[in-house]
Amino acid sequence: MPREAEPSLNEKQFVIQALQENLRLDGRELEQYRPLELTLGDQYGVADATLGKTRVLAKASAELTVPYTDRPLDGIFTIATELSPMTSPAFELNRPTETEVLLSRLLEKTVRRSNALDTESLCLIAGQKCWSVRVDVHVLSHDGNLIDAACFAVVSALRHFKKPDTSMEGGVLTVYTAAEREPVPLSWLHSPFCVTWSFYGEQGEIAVLDATWLEEQVRVGSCTISLNRHGEICQISKLGGTPVEAVALLQCSAVSLTKVKEFSTYLDEKLAEDAKRRNKGGLLAELSAENDR
Amino acid sequence: MASTTRPTLLPGDEIPSSLIPSHPTKPLRLGPGLRHLPPSQILPTVSGQLITLPQKSSMWIEYNSSRYIPTQSDLVIGTILRSGPDFYYVLLSPFTPPATLPHLAFEGATKKTRPQLNPGSLVYARVTLANKHMDPEVECVSATTGKADGLGPLTNGGMVFDVSLGFARRLLMAKSKEEGKIEVLELLGGEEGKLSFETAVGRNGKVWIGSEDIKTVVIVGRALKETDEKKLGVEAQRKLVRKLIKEMK
Repeated sequence: MPREAEPSLNEKQFVIQALQENLRLDGRELEQYRPLELTLGDQYGVADATLGKTRVLAKASAELTVPYTDRPLDGIFTIATELSPMTSPAFELNRPTETEVLLSRLLEKTVRRSNALDTESLCLIAGQKCWSVRVDVHVLSHDGNLIDAACFAVVSALRHFKKPDTSMEGGVLTVYTAAEREPVPLSWLHSPFCVTWSFYGEQGEIAVLDATWLEEQVRVGSCTISLNRHGEICQISKLGGTPVEAVALLQCSAVSLTKVKEFSTYLDEKLAEDAKRRNKGGLLAELSAENDR
Repeated sequence: MASTTRPTLLPGDEIPSSLIPSHPTKPLRLGPGLRHLPPSQILPTVSGQLITLPQKSSMWIEYNSSRYIPTQSDLVIGTILRSGPDFYYVLLSPFTPPATLPHLAFEGATKKTRPQLNPGSLVYARVTLANKHMDPEVECVSATTGKADGLGPLTNGGMVFDVSLGFARRLLMAKSKEEGKIEVLELLGGEEGKLSFETAVGRNGKVWIGSEDIKTVVIVGRALKETDEKKLGVEAQRKLVRKLIKEMK
């Protein structure tokens, strides 16, 4: 399989020189994201996030299965990430590259292990029936900062997703179609987002947000911080690279919080817009059989 | 000169016979995007503008694509991949087989004085051999005069920007202002911007910009990329240049 072409010496040198003068090739500030855009699909649970030229599509779906025997009270929640050759010819199907492994692990850590989705609410009959919620992440175009874009897409897809309504009567489980009863949203506890920092310079003293692919190729280290808008940090991963001072990292996490708040409000706005679009004539509240938590 | 009428054609469209150049002596030459179906039918295989040159008895279709296919005597910007015993291997576009650049194809190069290029260096070169079934060959010296004519390694810093192939061709036109409708470079370098920079345009969709000042390179690169991506007209280009210059100060 062809390897990704390395940037030329001139490009590498220039990107670093420019960053040392606080300049970026696309005219952004160092701590500025590219314009983030989210399109929610007609179907529940489809989210298409674009960050500049990076584009990620996430699709959430649910099916009925048997829970794992060691966790009879929990539903199943998986995130499937696959980088296909559509993203770049350097990616091959069924042969995960390091980027892919890191991406899926980070998403797991951010969304699954921070208990953003209440998996207990997915269980229908203890030890017998539960929902298995699955999010498929498709990277449509790769221009750097896959992690942030993918995380945003996954969280948006899950927040937008609605699973079929069910009821238990006399030991009989009924699953209703969308025509019978309005589907219900997942029980969602908090929305974590990833913010990735790239470091440049000999001691990693220049910290840059939302690096493009070219910038990612010349960075000396990176750090991904996942947190929600209340400032609760779910994970920090700094995988190798040049060591960075703790004070600098603290500052990074403070800036990350403002970014996450922006993401959060943007997503809320988009979801509200989508709900309004679907709720023609204001009848959705009557259709819903869901109880308040 | 290209004729003034440039009809837009779709693949398989019939070409009006009045547009096909007929020269008394020169045979008709078909360029990219056209296909001759014997005995006498000529069909476009891509969609784009039909351009005819009656003096040279040639015609082709001008269309914008992303994939570069090497053609003889194209000027290109390549990245050195590695050095072989007699050749450098040069990458013209990502994920394609590398082109070869003989060690001695530089101005005044002998076995002892040839330039030593490290992997990752940039060269401005001309394609000398390009056909379907072989890797392309490039050179940095004119084989007839032995002069470099501006070709050679691009050593003094600078930055390469990727643009679309159609845009690169428009930049390379002899009258890029009148015919290509590109004014950004002249505006930035002229009265409006007073920036000093040098450029090298490769037909493989790469533009190298060099300058003493890093800010200048960034501004010029952004102006070019924006003009290309947003398909700006002349008036919009002037506006863009004014905006960028203001931002710079």
